[in-house]
This record gives sequence, C-alpha cells and structure tokens, in this order.
Amino acid sequence: MSATPAILAECLVKRYPVFRGFRDLVRRPFDRRTVTALDGLDLRVDPGRVFCLLGPNGAGKTTLIKILATLVLPDGGRAAVDGHDVARDPARAKGAVGYAVGEERSFYWRLTGRENLEFFAALYGLRGPARSRRIADLLDLVGLEASADLRFNAYSTGMRQMLAFARALLAEASILLVDEPTRSLDPLAADRIRSFLRGELAGRQGKTVLWATHDLGEAADFADDIAVISRGSIRLSGPAASLAAGGRAALRRTYEQAVEESEAKP
Amino acid sequence: MSGSAGPDRTSGAGVFRAFLRRDLREALTYKFSFVSSITGILLSSATFYFVAKLVPSGAPSLGPFGGDYFSFAVVGVAFAGLLGMFQEGLAAVVRSAQLSGTLEALLVTPVPVPVILFGSSLYSLAFQVARTAVHLGVAMALFGLALGRVNVPGVLAVGVLTVLCFLSVGVLSASFILVYKTGNPFSWVLGTVSGLLGGVVFPVSLLPPWIRWISSLLPVTYALDGMRKSLLASASLADVLPDVAALAAFAAVLLPLSLVAFRLAVRKAKRDGTLSHY
Repeated sequence: MSATPAILAECLVKRYPVFRGFRDLVRRPFDRRTVTALDGLDLRVDPGRVFCLLGPNGAGKTTLIKILATLVLPDGGRAAVDGHDVARDPARAKGAVGYAVGEERSFYWRLTGRENLEFFAALYGLRGPARSRRIADLLDLVGLEASADLRFNAYSTGMRQMLAFARALLAEASILLVDEPTRSLDPLAADRIRSFLRGELAGRQGKTVLWATHDLGEAADFADDIAVISRGSIRLSGPAASLAAGGRAALRRTYEQAVEESEAKP
Repeated sequence: MSGSAGPDRTSGAGVFRAFLRRDLREALTYKFSFVSSITGILLSSATFYFVAKLVPSGAPSLGPFGGDYFSFAVVGVAFAGLLGMFQEGLAAVVRSAQLSGTLEALLVTPVPVPVILFGSSLYSLAFQVARTAVHLGVAMALFGLALGRVNVPGVLAVGVLTVLCFLSVGVLSASFILVYKTGNPFSWVLGTVSGLLGGVVFPVSLLPPWIRWISSLLPVTYALDGMRKSLLASASLADVLPDVAALAAFAAVLLPLSLVAFRLAVRKAKRDGTLSHY
C-alpha cells in the first residue's frame, strides 16, 4: 500500500439544505432542515488504480466526486487528493485532478471541438505551440482529430464524452474523476469509453481513475477495486477480482445485499 | 500533478485573451446581433434628435451642461448603457454560465474565481465601450452632437472612479446571482431608480426637492454629471471635483464590500452544493 493515497476521504459528511416554499419560510423561518448526502464516508484509493464507485441513484456518488473536484464543500470530515486537502488547499487539489464533466452543457456549443479545447487549455496555463501540440495529441488520443473543426453541437453523445476526457486531460493531472461516463451511450460507444479509461488512461498512462457508475457489469469488467456506496457511506469495498470472483451474478447479489442492508437501517 | 500549468500562468493576460477570443468567436456565429445593435443606436439618436426640437436651447436646467438638450440626452443614454453593462454584466455572465452549464467546467480549472468572473465579462464590457463610442460618433456625424473643449483629466478621473463603483455593484449583483440565481435586487433598484432619478434623460435639478435627495445617493448621478460637464461644458478638473469626491467615497465603500460579498457567496454556493444550479 502506497504511503500517500491518490484519494482519501475520512468520515466525510455532506448535508444539503432542503428547498422550502414561501409558506414554510414564513411559518418556520429558522428551521434548517437538511438532507444527508454523505454520512461519515471513508474511502482510500491507491495511485494507478481504476476504482469503481458503485451505487444506486442518490447514493452520494456525485456529491463525493464534486467534493473531490472542489465544487462542493464538505460539512464534516476531510477529503484529500494526492495529499492536498480539498477544503483547505483547493488550488493544489484542483491541480491534482482532472474532472471529466459528462454534462454536455459544459461545452460551448457554437464553438468547434478544437476551439473549446483551446479555450480551456489557456485556463490551464498552456500557451503557444505547446498548447497546439497538446490539443493535437489529445484530439488524436480520443479519436476526434477528423472532427476537431466541427461545431460541438454537431457531435454525437459519444464524441462529446470523449471531448470531455480530452478537456480533463489538459491539466495532465494524475487523478481522473469520471461520473457515469457511459450513461445514455449506445453499447459500442460505451465499450470504447471503457476501453479508453481502462487501457489508455489507467493502463498506459498510469492514472488513477475514480469512476462512478451504477452499471454492475462495467464495474466487474473494468475496475481494479470496487466500493458499494449507499445512503452516503461505503457499505463494502475490495478488489474487483475478489468481489466479482463469482461473476456478475455474484457481484449483483453482493451489491443488492449491501444496498438492502443500508436501506433497512433507520 | 499539474503539468506545465502554473498559478502564474492562469491569471494573466493570456487567460483574458482566451476569454475574449472565445466570446468573439461565439459572437461571430450570431450574424445579426451586430446589425441590430447599430440599428438600435441610430433609432435612439434619431428619437432624441427630434425630442430635442421640442426643448428650447439654453433652458436654465441645461446650463451647466452646455445648454443643448440633444447633447445632454445622447451623452446620458450612451453612458447609462455603458454603466448598466458594468453594473449588470458580471451577474449576466454568471447567470449565463449557470444556464448554459459551463460554470462547473470553468470552476474546476486553476483560474481564480474573480479572474473567471472578469474574464467572462470582458467581451461584453469591451463591446459596450465600443458601442458607446459608436453612439457618440453617430450622434456627432449624423445629428450634430457638439462636444465642448473636452476636459481629458476630468473624463479620466470620473471615468475610472465610475468604473470602480459600477464594477463593485456588478460584483454584488454577481454574488446575489451565485446564491439566489434570479431576482437580482441591485440591478432592479439601481437600474430602475437610476433611470428615473439619476439624470439620464433630464437634469436632476428638475426633480421636486422632496425626491431629489434620493438622486444624491446614486453613483450614476455623479457619474453622468461629471462626464457631461467634462465633455459638453469644458469644465475644469476643479469644477468636477465634487463629483470625483462623491464617486471616490462610493468606490471606497462598494469595492471592499463587493469583494467580501463575492467570497462569501462562492463559499455559500459551494456549501449548499448549488454552484451550478439555475
């Protein structure tokens, strides 16, 4: 086990305020109701691993990823990426992670793929010929070199996801955070994404990948490690080889049991 | 680990150039926006040109500003548009990034949040400055706007302090939008009230005394007064010193207040997890 984990979360807590209507605000102005998204979550991801965070909708996967990306502040506990505390040292934490925002709306639709990358590359401090080279390399890497000069709004969903990876890689960060990257993709496009994450990014480039998904087969086939998250905390975790040793059906039974147990608790 | 990107390279001129290039490229894809903008300037100038024919030249209330209503109104409208952009432009870019979904992608980059805010609004601000210059140029070329012996130090002093004041209000507005998303009270209060009481299309001296005191609480009153006197009435720097002093006082209060408000707003939005909500 490495001395500095790529990702570390200790007793991480996040509660979101509940939206209240006007009537509620008038009746109970000082009532501060919250919904718990993370409830004392502990997690350790070692460098160079593909770590699948498996959980149902609303389990806390996206909240954890957004905390690690410094977009959300935790209410308790601590989280660190590459040794940098995300709340105390967000500037260094940002430099350590690439966040592949799967959200299509996170790009400028009227600009081309290349123009989008040029803009974000400048924000990562890349300039001149180095920037052009880096963008050309990344477009080649994600297979978009032929369509780089098409407007983003002409891209398919799979191409948009690949461009999101290219943008996340601009930072040359050692840790990549990906949130359900294969959601709403056709099977072939989804397989291309999985192979890219597993083979290229983790395998060849040695990056740590924290991969949130609710696809059991994806986790079984592509992860080094799996953690099941439900109701804001990790219910079980371990090497994929061990958790999915009995195949996808065995992983499914283990997953269902962990989720049911968490939901049975008050 | 961050590669060649360093903190010194993520807040400098290159970043501002990138924002300008991005927005120019986007603007060029909307082919008719420039045409409609110029048409609007022509129509506005023509309207005030004909309204000015109703107002006798040399009216006492126009005396401090050169005496001509058309010049008074055109300078007021041109600069009010510019000030409105300073005041609302930052909030508009935050709102636009929330709606378009690009805010999170911007905030995970190493660029400091204030740089993102100013960078994102740079094109709109530059465009509005150019629009103001075109507005004055059109009014001079086609409708006979006559500038006096322009007091350059006065224009610069009033201009710089005005920008500081209105950018501060802009940062306050952006802070509100970050947390509450819509219903920006700064924009509503200052935009609506300034239009009526700030002396945009008629001199503040025409207002009844019981309401005129509100004008003295608005930065726009001093900004337009100082700018008109410097541009139209050949006033010296000493003549516009009261306006300069008032604007400096507003800036001294608003600037630190807005920076603190913005820091708190970013923190609250991150705490509530609503940074990208709309």
